[in-house]
Formats: sequence, structure tokens, C-alpha cells
Amino acid sequence: MSAAESLAVQATTPGRGLTLDSPLVLKAIAGVVLLVLWEGVVRLWAPAYVARPTGIARVFVGVMTNAQFLADAGATLGAVALGLAISLVGGTAVGFAMGRVAPVEWGLRYYVNSLFATPMVAILPLLALWFGYNGDTRLAVVIFASFFSIAINAADGARSVPIEFLEVARSFRARPLATLADVVVPASLPYLIAGVRLGAGRALVGAVVAEFFVSIPGLGYYILYHSRTFRHDEAFVGVIVLVAAGVAFDALTRWLTRRYLPWHRRQ
Amino acid sequence: MNQAPARFRRVTIAASLVLGAIIWQVAGWYTSNAFWAPLSATLASLAEVVRTGVLLRQAVSSFELYLAGLVVAVAVGAPLGLLLARVRWLRVALEDYILMLYATPMVALIPFILSIMGFGFAPKMLVVFLFAVFPVLYNTIEGARSVRPELVEVAKSFRSGEWRLWCDVLIPYTLPFTMTGVRQAIARGLVGMVAAEFFLSPSGLGQMIMMGSQNFDTAGMLAAILIIVLRGVGRMDLGRHLEGRFARWRSYSP
Repeated sequence: MSAAESLAVQATTPGRGLTLDSPLVLKAIAGVVLLVLWEGVVRLWAPAYVARPTGIARVFVGVMTNAQFLADAGATLGAVALGLAISLVGGTAVGFAMGRVAPVEWGLRYYVNSLFATPMVAILPLLALWFGYNGDTRLAVVIFASFFSIAINAADGARSVPIEFLEVARSFRARPLATLADVVVPASLPYLIAGVRLGAGRALVGAVVAEFFVSIPGLGYYILYHSRTFRHDEAFVGVIVLVAAGVAFDALTRWLTRRYLPWHRRQ
Repeated sequence: MNQAPARFRRVTIAASLVLGAIIWQVAGWYTSNAFWAPLSATLASLAEVVRTGVLLRQAVSSFELYLAGLVVAVAVGAPLGLLLARVRWLRVALEDYILMLYATPMVALIPFILSIMGFGFAPKMLVVFLFAVFPVLYNTIEGARSVRPELVEVAKSFRSGEWRLWCDVLIPYTLPFTMTGVRQAIARGLVGMVAAEFFLSPSGLGQMIMMGSQNFDTAGMLAAILIIVLRGVGRMDLGRHLEGRFARWRSYSP
């Protein structure tokens, strides 16, 4: 970190000019080059409605302060958050049961694994039939998309609790519930977090796909509507918000892991 | 805990599968046909599409799309990842942007692809490609970043040329990581395939599911979903096998 900072300082000191091998300058140059390439390619070869950086920049503030857009974004991200929370509770319970109780694992293994491998898009029409063409379907898709990655990772985590930990707990005559709360859960938290991060990405995709399919207000439908009416610049602002939400959630889980789970790094 | 006799384990697994089949069947009897179809009806519908050759034709069409996108993704992702591994300034410049694209929900780009490229095979292939390429690229870069400097130094001190360095050090070291990426790409590509078949021009297994849902032919839809689930499981096993095969020389200690 300090090396990067000193490089950044070095890069901005006058006289010597920019040192090309400092990471921040390189990244900034690459970013500018990519944007110019995008702009140039679109201007030269693509139809006028195709999104390009200057067009996006022009509409960005307008879209981001539009009450309708904010309501759409809130609806999508809210559904993702709620679905993830439900998956986290349910998936953890199922996963821990599978990880610690062998018959549960045998009974559920094929179902959980094959549903995990199922692309959630494939069952979308079925869920739309069950839950109707409204927000419930989106919530169901989000839960379906994230539940199994959380359950599988929770099961892996619960299975990999070091046997010594459990023996120590037993020799101190810890009750099963106390063993679960004080040994199994903390030891498998890193796995659980990995599952949540994986599940969050899938949940975001699930919410967008559900909105495409059932046409309910939200970020995905906003993108679909505006690209159909050839307003790609506006539509792309929706993509930016989606990416930002994904990246922000990832950064948050990383930070929480580092801050509150210091034993994570030892593995 | 894991000392239970193997027979008990096998009985439990078999019982759970039988129970699942029974629930599927009974749920079909007691709900509206539009919501759920009994297992027997689903299997009958499956037999029907197998007999008429519809399944084979649609599955081949889906598989062509999937394979084309996946092959191009690996053919682009792996060499590009290796190049970025060797050329340090290029990697430093681009890796954050690649990570960002890796985190982008690619489905959100489908409407753009539809209105720019229209219908046809190429836009659908592009969707599968976009879903699959970034895991390969990202994992290859991660792997190449962790090549031990000692290995390169030893090769250099034996006056190894650039070509030998690639063949004997960089590629073998990075390949297991690439395979992790390929395993993820195999799963994500399948999502991309179905999404492309749904939202671009309908074709393949995606079209079968769509048609089933539009005609309230729930048995037909469940049959197509069942095929996709089985293919997903098969590909997950294939991916794990690939990863395991190449991971063998990853876990050596210096």
C-alpha cells in the first residue's frame, strides 16, 4: 500500500514527469485508452444509437437522479438483498445439517448438487407459472439462484471443522447446541462467506433475468426497455449500477472477512 | 460419525431418490396440470420427443452453440491470460478492468446484443462467449501471477530461451489455474446458452422449455428442464475431472 502511494506521489512530482511503471498511472492510462477505443469504434462503425462513453456521461447524472430509475434500482437490489437473506438462513441450516449429519447428506446430496448445477434461467418459466408475473417470481428466482451455493459451501465448511476442535468441545462436555454455535459456526464461516459471495453474483443475474422474463419494474427491465427503444446510453447506466452493486458487495464481504474473521487467513 | 455401514448409506441414498420420484408423481396428481406434471407424464413426454427426434435435433443445436462459444472463450482467454502473465505492465494496466468485467452480470448485456446484432447464430455465440471467457482469463492471470520467481530465475540462469521458458515453466504452472477457470466457464456457459436461447432467437433446449411454458405443456417443459439439469450435472463432473487431472502437479512443494 505504502509502495503504491509513494509511487503515486512520485508519479505526480513535477520535473521528472510521469513514471510509466507506477501501477496507478498505468491503470489510469489503460482506462483512458479503453474508453477512447470504445468511443472510436462506436463512432466509426456502429449505428448512432449504440452506447458510447461520451453519450453515457451526458445522460449519467440525469438518469441517476431520476426518481423512477432510483425506484427501479431499489426494487431490484431490495429483492436481491431479501432473497439473499432468506437463502442465507435456509441454506446455512440445510448445509450444516448436511455437513454434520451423514444420513441428511446422503438423502439430500443429489438434489442439492443437481439443483446447484441447474442454470436458474432454465426453470424461470416454471417459477413464473407458479408465482405469477410479478415480484414474487423475481424473489423466487433470486432465492433459487443463491440457496444452493450457500448450502453447498456451508456443508463443506461444517464437514471440514478440524476433528480436534470437536474433541476438545466434547471433553469439556459442551452441549450439542453450544458446540454448533461456538465451534462449528465460527470454523465454517470462511466457507459460508465464499458461498454468499458466489450466491450474490448469481442472485443479481437471477433478478435481472427474472425481470426480462416477467416484465416487472426493476433494473433489468429498465435496461431491456431502453435498449429496445434504442436509448442505449440510458440503458447502460443501468448496467453500471448493476456492476457497481456487485463490486460493492464483494468489497464489503472482503472487508468484513478481514475485520471480523482474522482466523480466515490462516487456512 | 462416518463409520456407518456402507449398506445403510446406499439404502438412504436410494430411499431419498425413490421418495423424490414418488413426491414428484403424487404432486402431479394433486395439482393443476398447468403447474406440475406427474413423473410418468414427464417421462412419457420425454420418450415422445426422443422417438420423434425433436430432442436430438434441439440438443444438438444447443450443444453446437454451447461448444462454439466455449471453445472460442478458452482459445481467447487462455493465451491472453498467459500473455498478460508474462508482460507485467500490461497485466498491471488491465487486471482491474478484467476483474470488473468478470463481476459484470453478462445477462444485462443481452438486450444490447439483441438490438445491435439481431437474430442468428453469431449473437447467441457471443453471449455464451461473454459468459465463459472471463473466468478463464481471470483464473489464468491469477495462476500466472503466482508463478514462483525462483522457477523463472533458474530457467534464466540455465540460459533458457523465451520459447522454452513458456513451454517448460509458464504454461505447465498456469494450466491448473486455467482449468479451474474452464470448470467455471463450463457452468457459466450453460447459463449463457439457455439465456441466449430464451432472449435472442429461440432455439434448442431453451426453445423447448419456452414452448412448453407457453402451451401449458408442463410435462414437455419438465422433460426439457430435466435434460438441462442432467447435462449440468454431467458437465460439472467433467469440469471437476479436468481440474483434478491437471491439478495433480499443482500441489507440489518447493
